[in-house]
Amino acid sequence: MTHEDVATTELDPDAARDAIEHCYEQGWSDGLPVIPASRPAVDEFLATTDRKPDEVIGRLPQLEREVTVELAAINAVMAGCKPEYFPVVLAAWDALMLERATGGGGWQSTSGPAPLIVVNGPVRNDLGFNSTGGVFGPGFRANATVARAIGLIVRNAFGVHPHELEQATQGLPGRWSICLGENEEESPWPSLASEAGIPDGSSAVSATLLRTCEFVDNRHTSSAEQLLGDFADTIGRSGAWIFRNAAAGVIFCPEHAQLLADSGYDRASVRAWLAEHSGRTTAQLALAGKDHCPKGLRLPGDGEPAGEFQRILPGADPSNLLIAVAGARNAGISMVVRIFADWSGAAVPVAAK
Amino acid sequence: MPNAILDPTGRKQDAAPTEAQRAPRRPDLTGARIGLLDNTKHNAALLLREIGKLLVSEHGAAEVTEVQTKKVFSLPVPDDVVTTYLRECDAVVTGVGDCGSCSAASTADGIVFERSGLPAAVICTDAFVVTANKMAEMRGAPGYPYVVTEHPVAVLTEEQVQQRARKLLPEIVALLTDAPGNAQ
Repeated sequence: MTHEDVATTELDPDAARDAIEHCYEQGWSDGLPVIPASRPAVDEFLATTDRKPDEVIGRLPQLEREVTVELAAINAVMAGCKPEYFPVVLAAWDALMLERATGGGGWQSTSGPAPLIVVNGPVRNDLGFNSTGGVFGPGFRANATVARAIGLIVRNAFGVHPHELEQATQGLPGRWSICLGENEEESPWPSLASEAGIPDGSSAVSATLLRTCEFVDNRHTSSAEQLLGDFADTIGRSGAWIFRNAAAGVIFCPEHAQLLADSGYDRASVRAWLAEHSGRTTAQLALAGKDHCPKGLRLPGDGEPAGEFQRILPGADPSNLLIAVAGARNAGISMVVRIFADWSGAAVPVAAK
Repeated sequence: MPNAILDPTGRKQDAAPTEAQRAPRRPDLTGARIGLLDNTKHNAALLLREIGKLLVSEHGAAEVTEVQTKKVFSLPVPDDVVTTYLRECDAVVTGVGDCGSCSAASTADGIVFERSGLPAAVICTDAFVVTANKMAEMRGAPGYPYVVTEHPVAVLTEEQVQQRARKLLPEIVALLTDAPGNAQ
């Protein structure tokens, strides 16, 4: 019988509500209802992977907490994932664990950073990951629940709760909800995963932590350099820039990516252009008290030499500027993301059984 | 019989509270060798240095014998560093807990020092007492006393940091000794 067949006769909404309330009372929810996890449900998730349930896939030494495959599966059930999403959850988690900040203080940070999860390959269409309109969500179960599963793992298995060990001053809007499929079909460039060495036709996940996001709406120029200039201005803003350099990313909409490609730009030349042009002069940074950087942290200085241009990106490597293509082809609106610390530059294969 | 609802936390019990949460204290700091552990947060090194100077010049401490900077501010102090402080010092001052992970980690550091036999004074800003207290609870030392200072510390000028050191001094001395009047 399908859920629909039994929905009006056998499913018990009051029992479901009681079970959900129990989860709230235990402190296991991110604020929205969770699916209470049962042994049979978790076993369905574990059956999608060859990995052993007791394999440790994350440690937070300062809190003496660990995540196992089994705990990840329980939280993925609770997030509302389907069993077949679980290999993507594991790949996203593994990709995040490659980030320096996620094994340190990142989850506890006052910045309240949000994971950015990018899915590539056939798994996008097989499992229904949105890669086009409204890609930053909401509205799509695969995108929404994979990102939420990461948040529940951090909350429950790492024990990082808001107002306790999690000290976000405000937190990033969309925290635990940013998971997007790359729009490979409308991208003029090889995929993010293939740039990281994953063979075409395979599925993989890339992930990092974000400090903030801001979109660039630019639909009336046909000049690649004017368009890139708009991105350079947003990337170079002082607001989220607190250390000597800062990594960033751009989630290009298809229209912007295609305009750049038609003008001869590939990912590497976009990065090179933005690395050279993104930043502020010392005088501009002095207005924000961020012009002086003696030991890595930006501090107020004397504003000299005023005309000196300080680049924000540490370099033009893929790990310094993540580039992906996603969204609808209906307007020139792309998202600049500011990376919390640094990005591994890696993509983790989705290892479905 | 319905299926049980599974626990997503994998949580073991927090460490059981132990009686010996703090190292034995001396009645005063006369002749004491002082260690400073800087957690890298802005102005922490300056504040600790000022406190070290005042402990020597006004409270009879012999000298500041060990100054280190934490390699990773979000993680507890490693064993080999604890061993060094234990060998080189009679009391340690550490901080400043001035961010999400470092305030919790500095509290954990204080507890580690205490359990190895070294009296410690952890400095944490008043914006992070909840996270510091939570860490103490997790480490089996609920109510672990530390010095709370007004937030923020990172924006203070050098002169203001010196004033802050002066202001915190009595509480730090009280925490590091068992002089009468020390509530803990």
